[in-house]
Amino acid sequence: MLIILSIVAVFMLAFAAGCTGNGTKTTAVSQAPTASPTVIATSQAPVSITAAPVMTTALVSTGQKQTIKISGSTTVLPIVQKAADQYMAAHTDADIQVSGGGSGVGIQAIGAKTVDIGMTSREVTKDEMNKYPSFVVTTVAQDGIAVVVNPLNEIQYITLDQVKGIYLGTITKWTQITGANVPGTNNQIVIIGRDSASGTRTYFDETVLLKATPTNKMLEKNSNGAVLQTVAQTPGSIGYISIGFVSKDVKALPIWYNAQKFVAPTIDNVKTKTYPVSRDLYVITNGQPSGLTADFIKYILSPDGQKIVADEGYVTLG
Amino acid sequence: MEKFMKKMNGVPSASEVTAHLSFLKEQAIKTVFFFTAFFAVIVVVFILLFLLRDGYVIFEKVGVLTFLSGTAWAPTAVVPLYGIFPLIVGTLLVTIGSMVFAVPLSLGCAIYISELASPRVKQVLKPAVELLAGIPSVVYGFFGLIVLTNFIRVTFDLPTGETWLAASVLLGIMALPTIISVSEDAISSVPREYKEGSLAIGATRWQTISRVLVPAALSGIAAAIILGIGRAIGETMAVLMVAGNAAIIPDPLWNIFSPLRTLTATLGIEMGEVSVGSDHYSALFGVAVVLLIITLIINLSAVAILRRMKEGGPSRQAYKPFLSTSVRDSLKRITEMIVVIALIIFLLAAAPWYLAVAILLAGGAWYFGRNRLSQKHIQTIAFSFVVAAAFIVLAILLIILQDIIINGLPALSWEFLTQPPKDLGRAGGIFPAIIGTLYLVMGAIAIALPLGVGAAIYLVEYTREGRITRLIRTGVDLLNGTPSIVFGLFGFAFIVLYLKIGVSMLAGQITLALMVLPTVIRTTEESLKNIPQSLREGSLALGATKWQTISRVVLPPAVPGIVTGAILSIGRAAGETAPIMFTAVVFSSRFLPDSVFQPVMALPYHLFILATNVPGGSTNKYGTALVLLLLVIGFYAVAIIVRNHFQNTSRG
Repeated sequence: MLIILSIVAVFMLAFAAGCTGNGTKTTAVSQAPTASPTVIATSQAPVSITAAPVMTTALVSTGQKQTIKISGSTTVLPIVQKAADQYMAAHTDADIQVSGGGSGVGIQAIGAKTVDIGMTSREVTKDEMNKYPSFVVTTVAQDGIAVVVNPLNEIQYITLDQVKGIYLGTITKWTQITGANVPGTNNQIVIIGRDSASGTRTYFDETVLLKATPTNKMLEKNSNGAVLQTVAQTPGSIGYISIGFVSKDVKALPIWYNAQKFVAPTIDNVKTKTYPVSRDLYVITNGQPSGLTADFIKYILSPDGQKIVADEGYVTLG
Repeated sequence: MEKFMKKMNGVPSASEVTAHLSFLKEQAIKTVFFFTAFFAVIVVVFILLFLLRDGYVIFEKVGVLTFLSGTAWAPTAVVPLYGIFPLIVGTLLVTIGSMVFAVPLSLGCAIYISELASPRVKQVLKPAVELLAGIPSVVYGFFGLIVLTNFIRVTFDLPTGETWLAASVLLGIMALPTIISVSEDAISSVPREYKEGSLAIGATRWQTISRVLVPAALSGIAAAIILGIGRAIGETMAVLMVAGNAAIIPDPLWNIFSPLRTLTATLGIEMGEVSVGSDHYSALFGVAVVLLIITLIINLSAVAILRRMKEGGPSRQAYKPFLSTSVRDSLKRITEMIVVIALIIFLLAAAPWYLAVAILLAGGAWYFGRNRLSQKHIQTIAFSFVVAAAFIVLAILLIILQDIIINGLPALSWEFLTQPPKDLGRAGGIFPAIIGTLYLVMGAIAIALPLGVGAAIYLVEYTREGRITRLIRTGVDLLNGTPSIVFGLFGFAFIVLYLKIGVSMLAGQITLALMVLPTVIRTTEESLKNIPQSLREGSLALGATKWQTISRVVLPPAVPGIVTGAILSIGRAAGETAPIMFTAVVFSSRFLPDSVFQPVMALPYHLFILATNVPGGSTNKYGTALVLLLLVIGFYAVAIIVRNHFQNTSRG
C-alpha cells in the first residue's frame, strides 16, 4: 500500500511540476538580460528576425527557442555540458542537447548531420576527412591521459615501458614493478581499459602501446567515469583516464620519462607538452558554423568558456 | 457468413443491400484484425532481415565459420579480428551459472508457495516475487556494480569482483521471478486427486511433493527454466555492468572468478561508439544475428514443451514416461554421477577449501545416511531447505530494496523531482528524465495497445486453431523472446537510420511498442478466453453481428484484464534501457521535447550514465535508482491490484 501511495505522490509531483516547468519556459524570456558581456562581444546575433537594435536584446529576445544537438566523445562531454549549462543560463531561448556515445559516434553523427556539433577526443582520420570534406574541426582544449592506480597501491611512478608491458600482458604482478605493492592482495594486476570504439583507447593504443593490441584479459569499460570508478574500488587495478577525470579516489602516476625526469600528469606539464601522453580535444561542425552553433563554439573559446575547461580539470588553449 | 448470405437471397433488395454492406463491414473488420495479428510475424521477419542486411558484410568478408569460431575479438587492432567464439562461450557460461544459482532457489520457493505456505504468507510472497520481476535491469546492474562486485571481491579475496560469478548471480536473481511464477503455476495445477491419492496411501507430504507433484509438473517446470534461460541470455545492461567484459574464455573453463564478456554486453558497449557502415559496425550486427538465433532456438523449444504440456497435460492422461523404467534409471544414475563429479571438481577448483570440504562432507553424509533416516526426518530436512530457499529469495529482495531506498531517500526532494540536472547529473534534479520516460511509455502503449488487442481479438474470436494461428502465435512467442538489445539495434538500423527519423522520441516509442507487443497480445488473449462462450452465443442468437458481439459483449468484461496487461507493459517499457539507448535518448536536455522527432531524457538511461560515466554524485545516482524503482514497481503494483480485484470479483 505504501508503495502505491508513494508512486501516486511521485506522479502528482511530476505533473504539478510539469505545469510550473512549462510556465517558466514561456515566461523566462522576460527575465533574461543576464547575458555575460563576453558572449555579447563575440555574438553574431543568431537568428536576428528583428534587426538587432540593441546588442543585448538581439541575443536573448528573439523569442524563438533554438535547439542544437551535440554528441560524441565522453572526454569532451564535461566541458561542453558545463559550457552549455552556463550558455543556456544566459540565453533563455537556447536549448543545447548534449549526449555522449563516443568519438566514433560523434563523427558519424556530424557526418550524417543528425547533430549540429560532434565532439571527438581523437583526430579525424584521413578516411573520415575524405568521406566528409566539409568538416570544420576546432580545437577547444588540451588533455593529457593519466595512468591511474588505486590509492592503496604503494607505487610512486611508472615508466611508459612498464605501462606497455602491463597492457600487453607481459607484466602481470605488481611485484614485477619497482616500488609497487598493494597491501592485502596477491599483487595481481587488474587491467582496466576502454572499449574498442573509444577515442581515448585509440590514442592510448597508438601512443603508449605503439599500435599493439592490448591483452584480451583487459576489462573493458565504456567511459572515463566507469574506468575511474572501477579503479577506485579495485585495489590491484590500473587504468587510464583523461586528466579531467582524475580525482582523489585514484592515484595518478607520474611517468619516468626518458630515464631523466618524472613528469606528473598536471595541467602545466600538458601545456608545455612535457607530459608524453597528451592530445587535443576537438569539436566538429559540418561546414562553417553559423547561428547558435557558431555562437556556442565561440563561447567555449572565450575566456569564460576556457575557465570552464580549467574548472573541469582540462588544459586551456594558448 | 455464406449461409447467412444465402438466407438473405429471397429478401427484398433494400435489406439485401444493407445485409451486403454489413457483410462487407464485417469482412473489413476481420481483415483489419488479421493484419494486426499478422503484424507480429512481419516484425520478426523484419528484425531478422534488417540485422542480416547490416551483418551480411562481415559474414561475407571473414566467413561465417571464422566469425563463429575465431577466438579473438579485436575489432580495432591494426589487423582487425572478428572472432565471436569467446563471446558465445561467455554467454553460455553466464547463463549456465545463473541457472545453477536460480533453479534450486526458485524450485524451493515455488514448492514453498504452492504447497507449504499458509494463505497469509502466500499472499505476501507471491506479490513479492512479482515485484522482483518489476525491478528494472539497470537497477539490478547498478546494485551489482556498487554492492555485489565489491562483496565478491572482498569475500573471495580476488583482484576484481567483476567476474563470471557476479554476472551469473545477478542474472540468476533476475531469472528467479520468471522461474518461480511459471513453475509455481505448474505445481499448483497438478490435479488434486494426485495429491490426495498419494497422501491417502500413506506417503509423507515430502514424498508426495517429490515423487508425485514435481514429476507431474515436470514439463511445466522445464518450460519455466527455459524461459528463465531466455531471460538470462537476453539481458544486457546488468551483465555489461558486472561481468568485466574481457573477451576471453575462462581458464580453466570452470574458473568462475574469471571476467568474461557476453554477446549482449558487446552490443551494449560498442554499438554506441562504432562508426556506422564500418566492418566493426557490421560485425556487431553479426553478433546480434547470432544472439537472435540462439534465443529463437531456446524460445521455440520452450514453446514446444509448453504446448506438449497443454495438449497432454497431467489431467487428461497419466504420467507417461518416454523411455522404459530401466533405461531411465540407468540414465538417471549416469547424470547423477556426472553432476556429482562436476560438482566436486568445481568445488575443489573454485571454492575456498573449507567450504568445499563442508559441502562434500554434507553431501557424503546425506548420500550414505539417507537410507537410515526415517521418512519423517527426511521430510524435516527437505522442508527446511525449501523454507530456506523461500527466505533467501525474500532476503535478496529486501537487501536490494533496502540498499536503494536507504541510500536513495536522502536525494528525494522537491528540487530533485522538479529541476533539470546540473553538473552532469551530480546536482540538480531529474525532472526531464521522469517526464521523458512517461512520454516514451505512453507513446509505446498507444502504439502497442491497438495492435495487440486487435491481434488478440483475431486469434480468439475470428479463427480456429490452424496453420495461420500457429504461425502468428510462433511469431508472438519469438518476439517475446527477442532480447531487448536486439530491439534496440533494429530500432537504430531501421527506424533511426533507414527511415531517417533520427534519434527521437518517436523512434524510442516504436521500438518499445514492438518490445511490449507480445505482453499485450498475451494478456488480452487470456482475458478474452476467460469470457464464457455462452455470452457470445447468447449475443449472436439475439441477432447481433460478430462485431457487435465483440464490441458490446465480449470486450467490456475483458477490459480489466487488458488494462492489467497494458500496465504490466508500461512497467516493463519504463525500466528498459537497451532499446532506447541508441534510438531515443539524449544525455541532457533543458526543455521537454515539443515534438516526437526530438530526443528525450529517460530515467533508466540517466541512471546508466550516472552509474558508469559520471564519477561522484552518489546520492543522485541512488535517488534516480529509487525514483525509477518506485515508478516501475508502482506500475506493477497497480497491475497486480487490478488483477486481484478482478479475480476476486469474478469469483465472488
